[in-house]
Amino acid sequence: MSIRGKLFRKSLSGVAVLGVAALALTACTTTGSTDTNTDTAGGGGTVTVAIVNDFTSFNNQTPQSNLDTNGIIGYLMGNYGSAFSYVDNEFNLVHEEEFGTFEKTSDDPQTVTYTLNPDNKWSDGEPVTADDMLLSWATQSGFFNSSTTDPDSGEVVTGTQYFDLAASTAGLDTTALPTISDDNLSMTLVYGTPYVDWEIINPIGQPAHIVAKKAGLGSAADLTELIMGLPKGDPASPAEADPTFKAAADFVNTGYDVTAFPTDPDLLVSSGPMVPTGWTPGQSFTMEPNKFYVAGMKPKIDKLILRVIPDANAEVTALQNGEVDIMYPQASADTLTALENTGADVLTGDQLSYDHVDLNFGSEVFADLSVRQAFLKTIPRQQILDSLITPINPDAEVLNSQIWVPANEPYSDSVSNNGSSDYAEVDIEGAKTLLAGATPTVSILYNSNNPNRVDTFQAIQESASQAGFNIVDKGSPDWSSLLSGGDYEASIFGWISPGVGSAGISQIFSTDGGGNYSRYTGTNDDALLTQITLDPDELIAIEKRMDKQMFADAYGLPLFQLPGVFGVSKRVSGVEYMGNQTGPFWNFWEWSVNE
Amino acid sequence: MVSFILRRILVSILILIAASFLMYVMVGYSAQPLQDLESSNSPNKQQLIDARVARLDLDVPPPLRWVLWLGGVAKCAIPFANACDLGSTISNAQVVDILPNALAATVQLVTFALVLAILLGVTIGIITALRQYSGLDNTVTFVSFFLFSLPAFLVAVLLKEFIAIGFNDFLRDPVIGGTALVVIGVIIGAIWQSLLGGDRRRRLVVFLVSGLATSGVLLLMSATGWFENPGLGPIPVILLVAAIAAGAATLLAGLRNRRALITAGINAALAIAAYFSLQPLFDVSSAGTLFILALATIGVGLVSGFLAGGYDRGQNMRVGLVTALFSGAVVLLDRFMQSWGDLLTATNGRPIATVGSKTPGVSGDVWLTGLDTFAHLTLPIVALLLISFAGYTRYSRAGMLEVLSLDFIRTARAKGLPERTVIVRHAFRNMLIPLTTLVAFDVGALLGGAIITEKIFAIPGMGSLFNSGLERGDLNPVMGYFLIVAAMAITFNFLADMAYAGLDPRVRIR
Amino acid sequence: MSTPIGLGPTPPEVPADELAAANSLPESQGRLIWRRFVGNRVAVASIIVLLAIILFSFSAIGIGPIPGWWRFGFKELNPQVNGGDPTLSLLPQFLGGDGVSLGEHPFGQDRIGKDYFAMTMRGIQNSALVMVVLGLIATVVGVVVGAIAGYYRGTVDAILMRVTDVFIVIPALVIGSVVGHWFGSLGAPVLAIMLGFFSWMGIARLVRGEFLSLREREFVEAARVAGASDMRIIFKHILPNAMGVVIVSATLIMASAILLETALSYLGYGIRSPDVSLGLLISSNQSAFQTRPWLFWWPGAFIVSLALLVNFVGDGLRDAFDPRHRRFKLSKMRETPPEPELEPKP
Repeated sequence: MSIRGKLFRKSLSGVAVLGVAALALTACTTTGSTDTNTDTAGGGGTVTVAIVNDFTSFNNQTPQSNLDTNGIIGYLMGNYGSAFSYVDNEFNLVHEEEFGTFEKTSDDPQTVTYTLNPDNKWSDGEPVTADDMLLSWATQSGFFNSSTTDPDSGEVVTGTQYFDLAASTAGLDTTALPTISDDNLSMTLVYGTPYVDWEIINPIGQPAHIVAKKAGLGSAADLTELIMGLPKGDPASPAEADPTFKAAADFVNTGYDVTAFPTDPDLLVSSGPMVPTGWTPGQSFTMEPNKFYVAGMKPKIDKLILRVIPDANAEVTALQNGEVDIMYPQASADTLTALENTGADVLTGDQLSYDHVDLNFGSEVFADLSVRQAFLKTIPRQQILDSLITPINPDAEVLNSQIWVPANEPYSDSVSNNGSSDYAEVDIEGAKTLLAGATPTVSILYNSNNPNRVDTFQAIQESASQAGFNIVDKGSPDWSSLLSGGDYEASIFGWISPGVGSAGISQIFSTDGGGNYSRYTGTNDDALLTQITLDPDELIAIEKRMDKQMFADAYGLPLFQLPGVFGVSKRVSGVEYMGNQTGPFWNFWEWSVNE
Repeated sequence: MVSFILRRILVSILILIAASFLMYVMVGYSAQPLQDLESSNSPNKQQLIDARVARLDLDVPPPLRWVLWLGGVAKCAIPFANACDLGSTISNAQVVDILPNALAATVQLVTFALVLAILLGVTIGIITALRQYSGLDNTVTFVSFFLFSLPAFLVAVLLKEFIAIGFNDFLRDPVIGGTALVVIGVIIGAIWQSLLGGDRRRRLVVFLVSGLATSGVLLLMSATGWFENPGLGPIPVILLVAAIAAGAATLLAGLRNRRALITAGINAALAIAAYFSLQPLFDVSSAGTLFILALATIGVGLVSGFLAGGYDRGQNMRVGLVTALFSGAVVLLDRFMQSWGDLLTATNGRPIATVGSKTPGVSGDVWLTGLDTFAHLTLPIVALLLISFAGYTRYSRAGMLEVLSLDFIRTARAKGLPERTVIVRHAFRNMLIPLTTLVAFDVGALLGGAIITEKIFAIPGMGSLFNSGLERGDLNPVMGYFLIVAAMAITFNFLADMAYAGLDPRVRIR
Repeated sequence: MSTPIGLGPTPPEVPADELAAANSLPESQGRLIWRRFVGNRVAVASIIVLLAIILFSFSAIGIGPIPGWWRFGFKELNPQVNGGDPTLSLLPQFLGGDGVSLGEHPFGQDRIGKDYFAMTMRGIQNSALVMVVLGLIATVVGVVVGAIAGYYRGTVDAILMRVTDVFIVIPALVIGSVVGHWFGSLGAPVLAIMLGFFSWMGIARLVRGEFLSLREREFVEAARVAGASDMRIIFKHILPNAMGVVIVSATLIMASAILLETALSYLGYGIRSPDVSLGLLISSNQSAFQTRPWLFWWPGAFIVSLALLVNFVGDGLRDAFDPRHRRFKLSKMRETPPEPELEPKP
């Protein structure tokens, strides 16, 4: 039969095709199945944390990279904020003495000496030395900058701007060129004028030997030599830019900005407890312990995965589904309940950011103290707290100080006699008496895209109207650009309390402070005084005086601290609540996995 | 033809430029890239604002800044120079560098959703058209209207809640209860009887047989711990492959066509042989291996069909191709299932994911990573495809009914062609013609829908690039997104026109 | 959001007997369509329920200064009753429930004590407003552009269609986000109007397609010979014949408008608080899905019902206008028209 013949032919050709394919295949196989996630070598296990924003840079100090996630990676890598000291969850600065010590050796002139432990090494095995501290000082102090910028376009007009910094150079800008000890392990800073927040300065940033290499120098010592030889920058008569130092600065400014996991291992060099080992942009960032780290923040876990999940609800489902172990979303009451339903441990507390109502002293309506007092008396702070905050943080209290948050030690003392008790209860009758029949028109500026602010506004509007105020809604998504214009009577917005340090005080409460949108002048002298007071007790006394003065002047009212919620899977223990932007990471070395 | 294409490309570029101007100016005027700095109490606030203004040229009004931006884009046109400049984000990442990753994630999502929506939608549309006004038809009509009216994020939230978490919880103790077995059996039985139709007696038999069979198989699977350690095993593979061969031959050529049967048989036999002989090769396979195997499968299917000969070689080749591909898929499926255990270990026993597109830290062979990707992308793809699925069922149903009422179908039936031939060979192709236009529009809708899906499932694709950019007032990534999406929309429209011309002999391109 | 604006599921076909009836009676076109529409039970029921829901929402909380019969406004803060849970009870006492009663806050309250029933009603009002205003504007602009392009052909057509293309290459949700980002805070009417100006492209293409074929018909020629002006021919002679396409796509635009607004609210670019839309309610309460599900399900149910009902009405209208299987022609929405680039072989 012909069919059978064809069948035979077909089978044969089928076999032939297969043979060719098999030949091609041999060239295209892998060597057996590889390992499947067998990285539990140390037995410490893996912890996965949900974060909101993706990572963008290994240097979190530049204006473009000063973002939460970069800061956290920096914290884990020992840059700026975890080498000599760290902040604990009661906002105390804890000295990390196994890494190195620092102390103020003199008050006049203010002198601070930093001394490194000789065993510290970078994660590539190079020692951590005073060269690294000097580079960090050069970066943070702006000592060599001689630039003048054009106020419109922001471009540099004359001189040289070496390092771009997100933080202000205030404080370190008055220091002279530091001196370095002969053993190259300690650095001494001498301040020109006293600086209140000297303790926060943490002079470990980028590795000097890497920066030197990228600038074309042979070693960290060469870089130190170069820095020591450079003249102080003078915007009035700028010197010629030093090309090598400029190259070093350019590398620090932008060389650490990445869009994929770097192929250049130099960018990954860390002095801290952990080193980056992988990054899938937009999805996850992986870190593992630094073998060369010898100080006290040694992690117990073997691997830390940061998982990017922008949506708070998606974070909850991911925790419920075991995809993440720790989350700290922008919480709502429902997030809290949902978290509790998943069986995870829920930690709640206050965040450092707080909302407040400020009165515009530049407006005609509020020129009169009694009108200001009357308005503040109508603000239903307890009701706002109960509806917005208490469902998320049952322990939340109305904030009663313009300077401190309850986590700060002086808070309770200050609150008891700063006059905030006058505004403890809504007092419509009292407000009416103060107004004496007048019906002032008060327009309130707030961010109309922020549900908390919108609800706060509605509550204030309802209450103040009862006392005879005519409330005008000036809510806008553009509120931030309208803030400095002053075309409003009151504003509702938030500040972030630093938790540690006093540098922010003059910003908000001095007459010319950049954050003084209220045009308030009552605490100017004290606010400036806080910046140069080195004695802690005296500093607190001044700040208490300011707090009291502001309530007496009816400056405005603090409302509440934003509530924070951490969800922690039962797999992980050792996580504790923390209200600043480091979040749960602050004590990462205490985390462990229960298996 | 060439001049037509050139003209179209030129016009498309002009449209793209004009649309980019529109987009740039609108986003530029509505964006507030300085908001975070303006409301900060940093002492060097002004300096930071200056720095950002200088780096992003914010002092230049948007229409003029668009010209600068366009200049950078124009450099992309220089071949091989790699000089593309789409600007940088606020956090100093070049848009050119972040686009490819985002693009890959979105293209993966949208392509799968599109293909599945078309396949499912068209199939169901045809079936409902053939069972017009039946219970099935009315149900599908209602369901598709319902899906059409559901907000996308609602679907996504429900999917996560009930499918991902529910299924993972089920896997912890994978036993299907008695009630669930009965309910599933009844539902499956009801679907089958309404699909197959016939008189009451036949429907009852179909209902009982399919319902009982489903429940029985599930009971067996749950009793043998199949869900923890799934796999098909030799006998089911052989049965499935045989069923595929018979099905393909029946559907495409009819059981009376001996040569088609032989082609299907050969391919089925080869697939079964491959199943037994290729396992060692599979163990060391990479993605490249699988690609070559797929090519080989296609080749075997076509060649075997061609060699089977007969008066209609084209038909035989189709039969061969369909049998080869589907049986190959069964063999692959079996191998993927064998890696299920590894995936369970790698994910702490919760394989179906609710976020991201891969489990961080999972590395392994192509089977494990493939399965992991599947476990991550299934839900987002389902959420996305529901958007357009309804449209395809409605249009293909209507299209089929319209075609079936035309004269040439009546003629085909009158000359005694079997119904199978009328539907598959005559009606089907004509029904596809108007659908090509829908596909072009649908791509735009899917890309838009991806913005929401990516947000809910935390997939770092184009949509999240757009959304986070718009939120932050970060113009350049938004424009990068726009460029890609607009170019894709234009391309698909163009392809649709080409397909239209290819399918409809009355249309010719001049 | 689903298929492009203006495209929707296609209709079931009209049964043959109705067709025969339609053909045999010497009725006017309008009456014929009306009869066909009324004969479609699903569509009629849908339009009645749709109007009932909208009227109910307006009567409940009133419009602007006119108060409604419901005791709370959607912005009023009230003391928390029953912990914010809904007080609506539907289970009668003899079935073991609390009896049929509304209670103080039948749909519950939000976190600052606003009455959720009033908010949902306001949401329905705003969603209906967005739906109607967006639909009207898109239709008017689309009809004018499509009519002029289709009637004058040539250069005018080429320019107008290229302008349409410029708008059409941006996905609806993308352009909606940008518009919403810009105008969302100016209130629902402004948002709806602005969105309308970016949603007319589909309808313009359809109308143009109709005009291209209708302008060649004898009655147009007759009007031209009789000396009618272009405007008169366009609006008095051709447009009435294209009304079917226009009305049907207008309905479908309205259905997608509801979903567009919902999606925008989810992304944060829709109507802003303290005003309320259904989309805003559902997206701001999506975290309540597991804990206070009523905050999620009330607006969710109304969104789905509104969109579903409008789709059914549109479907019924399409049947009524298009009795033979001529139906909604996808080919008329193609970017490239059949001519000049594509043309039938002789």
